[in-house]
Amino acid sequence: MIYAIYVLIGLSVLFALAGVVGMLRFPDSFCRMQSSTNISTFGVLGVILGGVLWSIFVFDTPDWAMAVKLLVMGVFYIITSPIAGHAIAKAAYKKGVRPEKEMVCDKYGEDLENAD
Amino acid sequence: MKKTKFSAFLSTAIVCYIFWLLITGQIASIFTGGASMQVLLAGAVVSVITALFSARFFIHSKAFWLFNPLRFIIWVFYCLIIFMWELTKANIDVALRAFGFKKINPGIVKIETELKSEYAQSMLANSITLTPGTITMDIAEGNGKTYYYIHWIDASTDHIDEAGDNIKGTMEKWIRRIWE
Amino acid sequence: MDVLVFFAICFVVLALCLCYRLIKGPSVVDRAITADSIDILADMALILFALHSGRSIYLDIAMVTAVLGFIGSVMVSRYLEGRL
Repeated sequence: MIYAIYVLIGLSVLFALAGVVGMLRFPDSFCRMQSSTNISTFGVLGVILGGVLWSIFVFDTPDWAMAVKLLVMGVFYIITSPIAGHAIAKAAYKKGVRPEKEMVCDKYGEDLENAD
Repeated sequence: MKKTKFSAFLSTAIVCYIFWLLITGQIASIFTGGASMQVLLAGAVVSVITALFSARFFIHSKAFWLFNPLRFIIWVFYCLIIFMWELTKANIDVALRAFGFKKINPGIVKIETELKSEYAQSMLANSITLTPGTITMDIAEGNGKTYYYIHWIDASTDHIDEAGDNIKGTMEKWIRRIWE
Repeated sequence: MDVLVFFAICFVVLALCLCYRLIKGPSVVDRAITADSIDILADMALILFALHSGRSIYLDIAMVTAVLGFIGSVMVSRYLEGRL
């Protein structure tokens, strides 16, 4: 059981590494935002699942309170991260942050110009 | 200011109290014995006060919609199986793009949804934002339909229906089953 | 060395790498996203340390940090939109 948990947490570290590399490499703000979603989904879920299994099976007496608290934290991350991402993406576009090179298509900008 | 209905108040209070039980760890000690009476009472008082203020933001239509057990089971199934599968695919895809094995071509596309309920629309938007590679930027309504503007890291097409099929996948069908 | 502590150190090193983007980032939005990610990575290190030491007080600290990070990024976005 211990090695399964180590594999879970290792996968989580791997995806967090992918997110960090993406945030350092990608050329514009919106793509960096996509990469930060990578950190806040699988980078979190592996550690949460591994922690729940660890606090039930590895401790001498199973610590149910810790397991439940970890699950609540996981649900909290899953609920709040899209809200923050959505708010920041909209604010960035309204503020005038644009990618450096041309995007394939930009329906949002076209519709905003037509509305004005 | 909208007047708070009693049913909305009651369901908000129940949700707050369940959250309190989970976060203080009392729900584990109820089953093993030795739950502290003080903590339970304090949680009741706090959740009633919170529900008084926040019920009108939390409940917009029927109050006890999610307390139906069948609907709740479908919800959990959606979160654990369908959504996890989409999440895994998208995560591996974006990780490969981050390490440089695939190219990126970002773009903002516009897709259309047929969901009517407010909760269903916001749940679909949150699901789309939570899968890496797509971020919902805005929701607009025009001539009776609802549109999302989505920043997509691999904008292979800008046609409204093909992009919708690619992004939503099977998620929209299951969300309609939950909320409608 | 304990494996959990090793993974926690991995997370902290990743958070330190993100500080490059935090300092250089061309716009405010980059800095806000990066701060949020650093917050999450530090939380993961705290959770692993709570498992290592077996005390759940670190979990409470991680939860408070998560709430503050969320509120912070929402506040920054509302300020950028000019609706604060």
